[in-house]
Amino acid sequence: MFNYKSFALRKISGVGVRFLPFSDAASDEVPLSRLLRLSLFQVTVGMALVLMVGTLNRVMIVELRVPATLVGAMLALPLVFAPFRALIGFRSDRLKSALGLRRLPYIFKGTMLQFGGFAIMPFALLVLSGYGEAIDAPRWIGLSSAALAFLLVGAGVHIVQTIGLALATDLVPEEDQPKVVGLMYVMLLVGMIVSAFTYGALLQNYTPGRLIQVIQGSAVITVALNFFAMWKQEARDRMRALAPKGPEVTFGEAWARLTERKGMFRLLAIIGLGTAGFGMADVLLEPFGGQVLMMSIADTTRLTVFLACGSLVGFVLASRWLGAGTRPIDMALFGAAVGLPAFGLIVWSSSVLSVPMLMAGTLMAGFGAGLFGHGTLTATMRSAPRDQIGLSLGAWGAVQATSAGLAIAIGGAVRDTIVATEVVGASAAAPYTSVFLIEAGLLALALLLALPLRGKSESRPIDVDPVQTTYLSGGTEPHGAQPRTPQTFAAGRTR
Amino acid sequence: MSNDPDKVWPTGLTLREAEEVHSYLIDGTRVFGVIALIAHILVAVTTPWLG
Repeated sequence: MFNYKSFALRKISGVGVRFLPFSDAASDEVPLSRLLRLSLFQVTVGMALVLMVGTLNRVMIVELRVPATLVGAMLALPLVFAPFRALIGFRSDRLKSALGLRRLPYIFKGTMLQFGGFAIMPFALLVLSGYGEAIDAPRWIGLSSAALAFLLVGAGVHIVQTIGLALATDLVPEEDQPKVVGLMYVMLLVGMIVSAFTYGALLQNYTPGRLIQVIQGSAVITVALNFFAMWKQEARDRMRALAPKGPEVTFGEAWARLTERKGMFRLLAIIGLGTAGFGMADVLLEPFGGQVLMMSIADTTRLTVFLACGSLVGFVLASRWLGAGTRPIDMALFGAAVGLPAFGLIVWSSSVLSVPMLMAGTLMAGFGAGLFGHGTLTATMRSAPRDQIGLSLGAWGAVQATSAGLAIAIGGAVRDTIVATEVVGASAAAPYTSVFLIEAGLLALALLLALPLRGKSESRPIDVDPVQTTYLSGGTEPHGAQPRTPQTFAAGRTR
Repeated sequence: MSNDPDKVWPTGLTLREAEEVHSYLIDGTRVFGVIALIAHILVAVTTPWLG
């Protein structure tokens, strides 16, 4: 008689491992197609950002008639989690896993949070706006559920981005990191652009049902893309799983070890200042063009497109230059140096009322932001010791996300207070130009901080040993003069 | 493959590894369940379908 059971089990055993989400062996060569697939998680991050900051911002205020201050508070909630990125990265570095995994479990959990937030978000928003029978419901239900939805999505985005970048850093050798950083940034931008257009088209004729479809559709797409992105990316590692765990390291100790590295603290400060400097005007450029230079809506949208195009060119060129041997910190320095005259041009354009000048300034600001972002992220990746990649990328993300969010809030607040205190009839440009000048000031500060890091360790090869030295500390060490022997190189490479 | 008593058949994982994979599945199911519960409550608040 035909033995169904053994037949079925034989079939399953043949395919068993294929259906597990981790790869069986770490390969030395990571093909571009696999990196491209990994970078899809950035698309979902961009999608979530656009949905929350752009689309829902408008839908909540215009269609759902939620008070603007409440909307602002809700959208600011995910920012609360930004500093915890460092903690999440640290935890993933030290994760105790029988499979020897470090990144995959976190990307999975982050994806679940992102999905969960999107899944309840439309209903939470409808309850918050008092749609249907919800008008009689107690107020706290809408408030708490909407807050929960935004918190979940925000936490998910932070986790997925931090751990995804750490996984990408794990996968590629040091000389390929600039390419990966460029790829990640480009995919984030692509995700934001594509989803902005898609959301705009889908929500053209707004109905509550359409809102539910769009947001829950984003939830499904998020899960699909993230799973596709992380499938078989991380190798399971029996050696790591069986390796005796060292003494428990607390977050404080690990953080102290990271920041005592020479230049690390300075690098984080530069990232914070520069990100705030470039990011403050993101939401003010369009109203500036509209109110001061009297541009049409189509023209002001072109401003945002110019900004994005500039960044895109910046990322691509930075990848190329860094791959050719430019040091990341010099790249960041150059980016900030491009940003300074860019904001000068933008301010100047308001006094001569020249739209082309504003366009040129915007393009330059985007270009500078691209170079700066690429340079600082690559510098962070390179300065991270192999066992602290999660923590250092978490620190990068914490500083970057916090300062970007705060910058947008502060930029808006500065403009609003100046508008409120300004005498009637004063120039319409003043509130905006003061924000742009603050940005230029922040960039100048970042430049000042970055200058001492420049010029050091010129002789250092790109593929430095990541365990013993930081990329930034460089030539002051005693071994700087002696020739680099292959032995020390190999010793550093073994984990 | 199935000779090693420590390996769970048919995937070739050890028992602890298999339990870890399983724990992620359980975690995901729990989160999923809680989210579904909250979503149902919220929908019931906007458009009640029970009485």
